[in-house]
Amino acid sequence: MTNIFDFKLVFTQIPTLLQFLPITLELAFISMFIGITIGLLLAIIKIREVPVLKQIAGFFISLIRGTPILVQLYIAYFGIPMFFKWVNFKYGTDFKVADVSGFVYAVIALGINQSAYNAEFIRAALLSVGDGQIEAASALGMTYFQALRRIILPEALTVALPSLGNSLISVIKGTSLAFTCAVVEMTAEGKILGGRNYRYFEVYVSLAIIYWVITIIIEQVLKIAEKKLAIPDQVSNYIPKEENADSSPAARTGFGGIRNLGRIQAPNKGSAIRIFKTR
Amino acid sequence: MIKIKGLSKKYHDNVVLDDVSLDIKEGDVIGIIGPSGTGKSTLLRCIDQLELPEKGSIDLGDKEIDLSKKNKKEINALRQHTGMVFQKFNLFEKKTALENVMEGLVVVKKLPKEDAKKIALQELSKVGMTSWANHYPKHLSGGQQQRVAIARALAMKPQLLLLDEPTSALDPELVGEVLDVIKDIAGKGYTMLLVSHEMSFVKNVSNRVIFLDKGHIVEDGTPAEVFEHPKNQRTKDFFAKMNLMNQPDYII
Repeated sequence: MTNIFDFKLVFTQIPTLLQFLPITLELAFISMFIGITIGLLLAIIKIREVPVLKQIAGFFISLIRGTPILVQLYIAYFGIPMFFKWVNFKYGTDFKVADVSGFVYAVIALGINQSAYNAEFIRAALLSVGDGQIEAASALGMTYFQALRRIILPEALTVALPSLGNSLISVIKGTSLAFTCAVVEMTAEGKILGGRNYRYFEVYVSLAIIYWVITIIIEQVLKIAEKKLAIPDQVSNYIPKEENADSSPAARTGFGGIRNLGRIQAPNKGSAIRIFKTR
Repeated sequence: MIKIKGLSKKYHDNVVLDDVSLDIKEGDVIGIIGPSGTGKSTLLRCIDQLELPEKGSIDLGDKEIDLSKKNKKEINALRQHTGMVFQKFNLFEKKTALENVMEGLVVVKKLPKEDAKKIALQELSKVGMTSWANHYPKHLSGGQQQRVAIARALAMKPQLLLLDEPTSALDPELVGEVLDVIKDIAGKGYTMLLVSHEMSFVKNVSNRVIFLDKGHIVEDGTPAEVFEHPKNQRTKDFFAKMNLMNQPDYII
């Protein structure tokens, strides 16, 4: 053996691996979408305490969280086709199970797995929105789902965002198990590459680098998103177009106006330093 | 004319409202006073169906709605006729003052955005908050938040405005600005039910005062009648206690 660790190969094979990045990302984002959708449904069922459905949701979450994702992938990959074959046999239907690619099973398994975890933190985020706001919305005549869409979800999203990011990062790494469903994504391709030249160790290092970089990018995007979603620290006053001048007694007496102006438009750091220096 | 008939509400064995009936004339500003825990807030919350009473109905003139039934259509119809101002403002945190006022107009009344904005700005100007239209609730003081909340309720053009201790979560300093706004809208002919502990304000702004005790209306009359010549012993005790508290510690 010429060298134990081929340092150059770690980097030269990254482009080959990256050809399979789209499949990894597709797997991740589609299962994430499924995970959030089902997770949100489960969370609402639990919050609204829908009879029967609530028990089913609890059982479902417990089952999914209590079994390894690898086992779930195998069950999806072998179990779903088996079930449809049985249906075909029993009812004479003609589902073309053999034509369904492993990708579909992988996405179903990963998505359902995510949903169970998402359900809990989505529930927590929804509950974090105060009852008062929901009462105010209903007092205006809004239905629960109008309030959910307009009031609860926008605020809950801010709370849920860090956990959503966590969830996305974990599902991206979860996709590396999709080879069990015969999906050739990045990790599977890495194994194939390693099998050709027996440089397994190098290929795993390359994969580690790629996954890490993806995670770093996601972290940065999340940071930006969090900033975008946050309520701005200061906003400028609304300047009415002539006819909307204040006419209330509070405005006429100038109650609270000046005090607040000072609080919102705090002096910036630069000016504070200058004042300090002149003294 | 709005008629509330036979409203009863209990939590487990604790009777909060016992067969309360109330006729409200249009333009009436009714102050509801009484000791804590006598169902003042519950009365308002039952009218708006935020609490479900065991029994009772409301007659809005053109239709009568059974308050004890959970009929979603009727509840929403009723809520569109009533406006609620809460003790803790309950503004939508993620929306600006303007969006807060527009929300009901756009979502419930299905007005186009521009029309809703126009109405919302008018309402904000009535409470003196036009300059703060772009601000979020967290930028505003308690008094300002409550003024926006009042604008939000008024924008829906409610037949009946329910004010649930609108100043009790405020600094003493900020109570004045909110009371000014309420007095202003009371003068504009809105029909209001006002629960408040600000006795002098209630006396000042309302044309009818109700004293609630243990779920019953024990006193009902003009402010002068109720405050100066209470008939019921319970009411007399209540005012006596309040006067004791208002007396100076020492008299020379």
